[in-house]
Amino acid sequence: MSLSNLIKNWSTLRVKRPYEDQYKDKDYKWAMVIDLDTCTGCNACTTACYAENNLPVVGKEFFGKGQAMHWIRIERYWGENEEMEGKFPDRGAQFLPMLCQQCEAAPCEVVCPVGATHHTPDGLNSQVYNRCVGSRYCSANCPYKVRYFNWWQYPERAWPNPLEQQLNPDVTVRSKGVMEKCTFCVQRLTEAKNRARTEGRRVADGEVTTACAQACPTSAITFGNLADDKSEVARIWARQKVDLAKDKQDKEEDLRGYRIFEDLRTYPSIVYMERVRNFEA
Amino acid sequence: MSSSIIDRRGFLRVLGISGTAATLAGCGNTSIESGVELVESYVQPEDFVVPGVGVYYASTCAQCGSGCGIMGRVREGRILKLEGNPQSVISGGKICGLGQAGVQVHYNPDRLTTPMMRDGDGLKPVSWEKAGAALSARLGASSPISGEQIAFLTGEISGHQRVLLDLFMDSFKSTNHVVYEALSPAIGQAANKAVLGVEQPVLQIDKARLILSFGNDFLGTGPSPVHMAAQYARFRKAPRGTLIQIEPRMTLTGANADRWYAIKPGTEGIFALGLANSLVQHQAYAHALPADIASVLKLYDKETVSELTGVHADTLSHIAGMLWENSPSLVLAGPSAEGHANGFQNVAAIQLLNLILENNGKTLQGQPAHPFPQLEPARSSTAALAKLDALMASGQCQTLLVMGCNPVFTAPAFVHFAKHMEKVPFKVAFATQLDETANQCDLVLPLLSPLEAFGTHVAGYQPKGVEVMIQQPLMERLYPETRAFGDILLDLLKQRNPTAYKAFPDYYAYLKTAVTKAKPVFKSSASDDDFWEDALRNGVLHLELPPTGLQAHTEALKLGKPQVSESDTQYPFYFVPSIKADLRDGRHANLPWLQESPDPLTTIVWDSWVEIHPSTAAEMQIREGDILSVQSATGIVRVKAYLFPGIQPDTVSMPLGQGHSQYGRYANDVGVNPFKILNPIFDERTGELAMYATRVVIKKTGENAMVVKDEGPTNVQQGRKLVATLAADQAALAKEVSRVTQ
Repeated sequence: MSLSNLIKNWSTLRVKRPYEDQYKDKDYKWAMVIDLDTCTGCNACTTACYAENNLPVVGKEFFGKGQAMHWIRIERYWGENEEMEGKFPDRGAQFLPMLCQQCEAAPCEVVCPVGATHHTPDGLNSQVYNRCVGSRYCSANCPYKVRYFNWWQYPERAWPNPLEQQLNPDVTVRSKGVMEKCTFCVQRLTEAKNRARTEGRRVADGEVTTACAQACPTSAITFGNLADDKSEVARIWARQKVDLAKDKQDKEEDLRGYRIFEDLRTYPSIVYMERVRNFEA
Repeated sequence: MSSSIIDRRGFLRVLGISGTAATLAGCGNTSIESGVELVESYVQPEDFVVPGVGVYYASTCAQCGSGCGIMGRVREGRILKLEGNPQSVISGGKICGLGQAGVQVHYNPDRLTTPMMRDGDGLKPVSWEKAGAALSARLGASSPISGEQIAFLTGEISGHQRVLLDLFMDSFKSTNHVVYEALSPAIGQAANKAVLGVEQPVLQIDKARLILSFGNDFLGTGPSPVHMAAQYARFRKAPRGTLIQIEPRMTLTGANADRWYAIKPGTEGIFALGLANSLVQHQAYAHALPADIASVLKLYDKETVSELTGVHADTLSHIAGMLWENSPSLVLAGPSAEGHANGFQNVAAIQLLNLILENNGKTLQGQPAHPFPQLEPARSSTAALAKLDALMASGQCQTLLVMGCNPVFTAPAFVHFAKHMEKVPFKVAFATQLDETANQCDLVLPLLSPLEAFGTHVAGYQPKGVEVMIQQPLMERLYPETRAFGDILLDLLKQRNPTAYKAFPDYYAYLKTAVTKAKPVFKSSASDDDFWEDALRNGVLHLELPPTGLQAHTEALKLGKPQVSESDTQYPFYFVPSIKADLRDGRHANLPWLQESPDPLTTIVWDSWVEIHPSTAAEMQIREGDILSVQSATGIVRVKAYLFPGIQPDTVSMPLGQGHSQYGRYANDVGVNPFKILNPIFDERTGELAMYATRVVIKKTGENAMVVKDEGPTNVQQGRKLVATLAADQAALAKEVSRVTQ
């Protein structure tokens, strides 16, 4: 950002983010909805992410050290206390697809000593690999634990010939010493935005989606543009009365939408829809 | 591309500049700069290749038998990623993790790149000339073998590959095409056929108000998981249906149930009959069954059933109540109910519930007759393998051909398949990668990957109408020495019957002719070429046909007194193998994405483990990671313990698919192979291997090792609102915005 730009836009830049209607007049604010009632925990999304984003397979040893590079993972929880009284998980398992929440007030952004992680104008929490010096402060500060550090030089070991031919040319292959994370498939977004701009329009709803949402066999993941009122994502957020700029929603009892760790004031861009169980059964 | 690429020196030479002049011209102002000459673009892309732009081509996923339509993203001539093909009713534009990993079959660093021939103890690379000569000598025009002397062993195979294979076997007057799938649903199919008149009814999961599933893992490992997952998503939208799962060990589908119940393995049929007894007490269902059955059903009172199955008597009344309140319902049987000595009876009893509840025609329908039955997958079974094994052991089998199946790995130890295979003098494997079975063969022929070859597939489970799926190459072959299975077969057929096949220079020509000949059935008036182009572009030929009706044969059920097999003091634990949606019978253990994809329920990666209920573990003082010996009457494995609450306390479970020794760098020496400790227990009606009937004893070895998993130190939410749960009667699903219901 140039100095002149900084001075010109000082009034908008110095306010606390996010603020009410921040993206109202903007073209894009990427956001997501994950329905935990239809998510079956099948892992199709995680494998799709490996394929799309050149995630290295680290192997058993490094996985055991907590060095797996899955940008999206399925967390599995069992019920607690009275739910487990009958010694079995009577209501099944609780699956949670966990990925970067693309927070509007991201704890990772403020601690980066070199500005490698920052906020893009379309509301993504981006990671600039070339700037990253590997301090890992961002990962330490992330409450969702969705940042992944390259402890090793993976390109040589993860893609023996000819597996490297599968690598997506639109996505950087990261090297040792840098932090990486879910990008909301920014390479797809960029391509769609460029195409739309050339044609003098905004990206249409459903024109672009993330690899995880595209694969999901139950369509539990919805991705889209929150700045477009008519997009499906925006309509779900509105219906569920989740406001991007609030840290406590006026939740009605029959609504399922919530954001994880909202009380930490991270203002995530992902709304989860509560799992439903028929307790009469 | 290659013809248009010229190096810089060549470029200059073409322009008449070379030697010193070239060096001089390389610096300073040039004739090009001054506009005297033109520069042509260095990149001259081939047709349909736009550098930097990914193009999608339709094809068919070959990772399992579901026959999902896929789209491959191709850029600069390389296949990069697979997506679902929205044109296909089966996949509906979606794809599972197993399907995604299809690119790793193609790019696998352990791919077989040349023919291999046995030389002493090992396999050595040879030329195709030599391999072809060996093949012709045994199977060519002058081959003396016929009938029982030859056997072709395959996994599930459909489409025109199957047609050619049948023709090939016909030319030897042999019927020994053995279709063996270690996880074959043959018991369930036989019981369905006997009760409903069809082997596999078409399920309308989204139409059911209540699903009662006895171990049916339709979300993970069913006949068409991607299609059923989409149906399940609609099932969960308003008016939201309820899923009740009853099984000895929680499957992925069980993990998504509204209510999950544990049951003693093998007693599912008794519980179903208990429900039937309870249902026919209800006026509406009182006359659903003939009097002779109704009278025997009385023996299945809830106290007796509860005692035998380990499920509480109140549960039985409760489920019966739910069933008559929620119509239409859908009652499903799964592998854990099928794989017992009384497996057939279990499934028949479970299907009896569908008859009583009159679900037929509502949530269960008959699959329309396929217009090309010869393209349908031949039914697999484990009993067929036993027959082949006997042929090999007796020395009758002179030539064994194997494709898409690895019995040396998947056959239980009591079969001694590897030993009997040695008695066959000439064994040929067709493979994309060497596995345990191919390594025992005398000749191994390298196949194209499914992403390099043309083909057709017909799924055994057709959810709506019928589809013939078209497979087309998504890129040029990686290795020049690999060949299509169809081409190899066609070559052999030409040797045996030159006149019949001379019209087809290769498998592609054969396939194109065969598919375009089917044009009238698909009511197309396009020219042959247009029809073929359309088929390739869409990746699927769809024919809308109405579903057929189902029959009701209550007499198929042989009812007796409720009884279970006696407990065994020497082997106190039931042994339940679990099928992982991605590894299946182990054929996908060579794919690194799937090895590193955590098991959904345990989150364990790259390993085998034995699941044990925490209460049993506490009794035996077993902690996570303790290495246990799991011993059956036929074998023993040593494996790490994992404490798992979703399992009967008197049952232990191990995932199938690991324990390879000769299947490439990603599969070898990962975990252990539970197939090897299965006991020789067979379903009484079909003779199929009863996979879930083995009993084991477990002992601590005193060793402990870390279990590598994604799960953190806690497996509960500890009050954090991570996965919130809302009661179904509170959720206003009907008012929600959702594209699933549209």
